[in-house]
Amino acid sequence: MNLVQQLINGIVLGHAYALIAIGWTVLLGVARLVNFGHGQIYMLAAFVTWWSVAALGLPYPVAIGVAVAAGVVIGLIMQAAMLRLTFAQDLVSIMIVTLGFGHMMRGVAGLVFGGNPQVLETPLSWVEFEVAGSWVTAQDLAIVVVAILFFLLLYLVLERGSLGRTARMVAEDPKLAQLAGIDVRRVYFAVFAFEGAAVALAAALVAPRTPILTNIGFEEVIITFVVVVLGGIGSVAGSYLAGLGLGIFTALFGGFVSPAYATTAAFLVLIVVLVLRPSGLAMGRASR
Amino acid sequence: MTAPLRAAAFAVAAVLVFLLPGWIGGVHGAFAVIAIMAVAAYGLDIVVSDLGEVSLAHTVFFAAGAYAAGLLSTRLGAGAWVTLGAALASGALIALLLGLVTLKLREFVFSLVTYAATVVAAAIAHNWSVLGGSDGVSGIPTLDLSVGPLHLAATNDVELWPVAFALLLVTLYAIRQFRRSRLGAMAMMVHLNPRLATMSGIEPRRVRLAVFVLSAPFSAAAGWLYAYQRAYVGPDLFETYFLVLMLTAVVLVGRRRLLAPLIGTALVVGQERFLSFGGDVNAIILGGALVIALAVLPGGIDATLRRLVEPRRATLMGAPNTKPVVQP
Repeated sequence: MNLVQQLINGIVLGHAYALIAIGWTVLLGVARLVNFGHGQIYMLAAFVTWWSVAALGLPYPVAIGVAVAAGVVIGLIMQAAMLRLTFAQDLVSIMIVTLGFGHMMRGVAGLVFGGNPQVLETPLSWVEFEVAGSWVTAQDLAIVVVAILFFLLLYLVLERGSLGRTARMVAEDPKLAQLAGIDVRRVYFAVFAFEGAAVALAAALVAPRTPILTNIGFEEVIITFVVVVLGGIGSVAGSYLAGLGLGIFTALFGGFVSPAYATTAAFLVLIVVLVLRPSGLAMGRASR
Repeated sequence: MTAPLRAAAFAVAAVLVFLLPGWIGGVHGAFAVIAIMAVAAYGLDIVVSDLGEVSLAHTVFFAAGAYAAGLLSTRLGAGAWVTLGAALASGALIALLLGLVTLKLREFVFSLVTYAATVVAAAIAHNWSVLGGSDGVSGIPTLDLSVGPLHLAATNDVELWPVAFALLLVTLYAIRQFRRSRLGAMAMMVHLNPRLATMSGIEPRRVRLAVFVLSAPFSAAAGWLYAYQRAYVGPDLFETYFLVLMLTAVVLVGRRRLLAPLIGTALVVGQERFLSFGGDVNAIILGGALVIALAVLPGGIDATLRRLVEPRRATLMGAPNTKPVVQP
């Protein structure tokens, strides 16, 4: 395994991780909500993309749109069910409910798409480029480009625009925000719809790299958590850097140490961060 | 009801439940699994209901118990009492390590780290050949708890059911005693009012660690018996099914009610065994039950039934709050 190939892998993987995690970053940062069904939305959206291409014969870009729409619908349904818990800020119950949704989504995926592993082939995965003696597919490049554009857009909207201010106000003090005339319900619905859409977009782009099974999604949640914590909870720019760093770390660890234990290693990184920098988790207490 | 009367009623109910599978016939396996999964859920129950934290690592303790039984009995030919000791010890040890790492963490951060621990444990179980890798460990001998002249071997589900039932009774007694103990009271105080607890000289972190470590052997013991019941252990023990089952059992009926996790487990496993619609629909039902229990029925089935049965008392109690206060 040569170093350049692993570095390129790591950069692609890093952008994939950042894209997978961004929904959670926004969810946690602007609404103080969590979603343990994150990985299962990823799984379901990957299946929707595959089904749109393989069964409906839609072109890949349209299939991405279908997957994102599915993600929005799932996000809205979840938030509708949890609205009372959201207003009560009952984070413990929200966690358990989202786990329940995750389990339901697995059942739905098995029922609708069957239990067989599927491979999503996109026109982009056939195009390959040679970079410094290593190979990259157009699919990999698409992940990198979309991730960068998505993060730039989000950074401008959330950290520079008035929309971000509104959302942050809701996160800080939902009751005060309501007094100020903000429709808090709409903000919660919008944020959860964004969470669903973002992870669905990530799935539509990243899933062609691996086989699609009903039991994928767990590693995605762990990766997401590591990215969110490393990047500083709720920070868009931090998430991007953390995702990139984790991707390179995982690729190098997988390439030179052991691919099977790459997630374990990522978890150990998380432990080290938690022990060395518990202040980065101040949100965990403040969200109560 | 007075205390002796209540104890007598409980004893009669226990005997009836014990004899029930014999009367129905052919359901000892389902009843044993209900008892085993209920014991696993009780471990999680004291963390969720008493401590107020959601641990997602109890499947790890459950699997640790199962693997201890599977590995020691097949590789070293260890007896069931030895594997039971090893199961309890390994569950407590893993809980201690994880508890020390998560000592400062609370709420969703605690939950996510415990969830990550489950995913990592699953990765290790899949890949480490010592644990049998993806194939797991098969050919586990039947349970034999014979001591001296006392013959206690369980070669089938009918013979295993008394063991599972005894484990359930021991667990129920232990949970009841825990809730009445000093540690149980301290856990509730730390849960409901951490500041008051600290002011009363209680160290919240120490209490959390103690309850977390104490909870693990219950789930580990359940895993131990599950390994003998199934004669096989493998990485499938880490699947979210077990996690969601335990969580549903804990929240479905009601919090901090002694029999609630047992009834919850019986409802879920009973549906899967006797009214099954296939794995995928069962998963939707189980996940849906968890969502409904928390999002639609706050306080679980128990509180909802109470509201339906005693609406008058509820309105009477609620009346002073709803009445407008007359200003002088």
